[in-house]
Amino acid sequence: MGKAFDPSLIIEFIPTLFHYLGVTLQILAASIFLGLILGVAAAIPRMFKIPILNQLVILYVSFIRGTPILIQLFLVFYGLPAVLQIIKIDVSKLEAIYFVIITYAISNGAGFSEIFRGAIRAVDKGQTEAAYSVGMTSTQNFFRIVMPQALRIAFPNVANSVIGSLKDTSLAFTIGVMDMMGRGDTLISATAHALEVYISLSIIYYSVVLLFEKTLGKLEKYFNRYQKADLSAAA
Amino acid sequence: MTIDIPFIWTAFKEIIKSLPITLILTLVPLAIGFLIGLTVALVRIYKTRFLYQAANGYVSFFRGTPIIMHIMVIYYGIPLLIDQVSSKFDLNIQTNKIPIILFVLIALSLAAGAYLSEIIRSGIISVSTGQLEAAYSVGMTKYQAMFRIVLPQALALSIPNFTNLFVGFLHTSSIAFLVSEKELTGAANIVASTNLKFLEAFIAAGIVYWGLTIMVEGISFLLEKKVTSYSRGGVS
Amino acid sequence: MINLKGIKKSFNKSEVLKGINLKIEKGEVVTILGPSGSGKTTLLRCLNFLEKPDGGMVQIGNIKVDTEKATKKEMLTIRKQSAMVFQHYNLFAHKTVLQNVMEGLIVAKRVKKKDARYRSELVLEKVGLKDKLHHYPSQLSGGQQQRVGIARALALNPEVILFDEPTSALDPELVGEVLSVIKTIAKEGITMVVVTHEMSFAREVSDRVLFMDGGVIVEEGTPLEIFHAPKEERTRRFLQRISGDSFFPPLKERVN
Repeated sequence: MGKAFDPSLIIEFIPTLFHYLGVTLQILAASIFLGLILGVAAAIPRMFKIPILNQLVILYVSFIRGTPILIQLFLVFYGLPAVLQIIKIDVSKLEAIYFVIITYAISNGAGFSEIFRGAIRAVDKGQTEAAYSVGMTSTQNFFRIVMPQALRIAFPNVANSVIGSLKDTSLAFTIGVMDMMGRGDTLISATAHALEVYISLSIIYYSVVLLFEKTLGKLEKYFNRYQKADLSAAA
Repeated sequence: MTIDIPFIWTAFKEIIKSLPITLILTLVPLAIGFLIGLTVALVRIYKTRFLYQAANGYVSFFRGTPIIMHIMVIYYGIPLLIDQVSSKFDLNIQTNKIPIILFVLIALSLAAGAYLSEIIRSGIISVSTGQLEAAYSVGMTKYQAMFRIVLPQALALSIPNFTNLFVGFLHTSSIAFLVSEKELTGAANIVASTNLKFLEAFIAAGIVYWGLTIMVEGISFLLEKKVTSYSRGGVS
Repeated sequence: MINLKGIKKSFNKSEVLKGINLKIEKGEVVTILGPSGSGKTTLLRCLNFLEKPDGGMVQIGNIKVDTEKATKKEMLTIRKQSAMVFQHYNLFAHKTVLQNVMEGLIVAKRVKKKDARYRSELVLEKVGLKDKLHHYPSQLSGGQQQRVGIARALALNPEVILFDEPTSALDPELVGEVLSVIKTIAKEGITMVVVTHEMSFAREVSDRVLFMDGGVIVEEGTPLEIFHAPKEERTRRFLQRISGDSFFPPLKERVN
């Protein structure tokens, strides 16, 4: 089970692994961006109760909530080529990272759609009434009054999802993506110092998560500047 | 590549046999984690000296790193530690005889403790201070007020969060397959690679997890209705 | 000016408004009194279609709408004739005081930003909040928030301003500042419909008082008539319960 523990290796490994942080962040950024679009698209049929689409979205959200990300990753990795083959698209040569991005986008989309829906419903009904009372149309009310406030309400949850997603990217190596974890795997094969590699990786992940938390926390404060009480802390 | 639908059922029957391991990997960490989480939450609420910083650090670190790291560090780290101790004192413990599941359980328990402490803490905070003051006003001690008045309400309020965490850990237990634990995902992986039918096997595994999740959420819904019956029809 | 004919409204089969007929002249200040559940707030909300009446006709100014066939566009046009001051202020939480007042002008009335700003500052000065232009609602007291609410309504220069219990969510010591602002604008000849529990305010400011109970207008008249010589038993009992026996002595004793 590996060689004797050598703490100095931890420091030595960090720069090597850190080099691959870019891949991790790429996966994160792409999947969050696509997830946001998907989330909005999925929230609309739910809010306006569009028949069939509504049921499909419920099923989609339930499935994503109901299965581990690892299973979702495998399903996309093995399933997407099979599905696309039916319409004669060959993706067998597509790099693994795209499968990861697609999986995490689908996964984030489900979560975001629920967050958005909840946030819009959480905006006080009096706001809409006031908007109508000054003569706004329902579209004007939605974009000028409800949505800006819903975004504020949704923000802490979206931020949590981003951080959760960042941690989840650590599973991308299971289908052969060369991110930090993937590089860590090859380091272990080369040096047999698994423990040191995982400690290095933990340090990097922890630092990045702390940085994200700080930044997102600051942003949240900015969004809440017109709120006296910090409502999001109670949620 | 076509999908062999009957094989999904074959795989399902094979995979479901591993359900007990997944359940152990979910329930044991949550049970131990609850005790850790409650202790840590109280330490953080009462700002106990020295322990307070340690508790904060523990929660922050475990929530801030992927759970796969906890599993890997403990899986590789504890044997090394035991080996060193045992060679120093000639204890002659053979670490390769320790079942792997034990390492996974320790790692998941520590992670669960961190997440649960956050849930319990925010539950306690969300019980109004009026409840605490009322408890003091009828002559309860700090301890009585916490355990008789505040905690029961805090835990009831936290049921939706507990459910989310339960489902989260049910899903997280799938990571154990990476250290060759034969739980649901591990079993699916074996079925997949022996028959070279990956998609079918993982569809079957997905169905098992999905079904379990729906069951857990259903039970939690009923439980919440029952436990929070005292506050039904309230304004909040 | 305002004309309601046969306004009906039910919630879950219980009839809240049982065919209301009401005419209000330009510049008139009308207060609506009545016990809770009498339908007074619903009536107010039917006037600007925050509740869509089940039947009847609503006319404000030159705009006339048959409620049963009201289109979205007609509802919006009627709404633009009025402005409302809410019980819970309902200020836009994500906008500053000035933006709150400007919002309706820019979006609904399509006033140029510069002009909207000028007009908003003017009305905010009138309600005594010139020094709070860039505060957010959460940074204001309830009384200040409600004065912003009044400014927001006033800025639109509507045919009529609807007040829905504008002081009932306020702490007692803050009621005065809001009432005095409403009194000031009442004197300027703006048409107002006020649902309130403030009896002395109703008596002092209104041209006409309506008493509602059980979804109908039980009695209407000048403040003098309603407060000192109510004809209906229901009105008398309500006033007695609200104010106690001694508060409004019968007119005769006073004259003596």
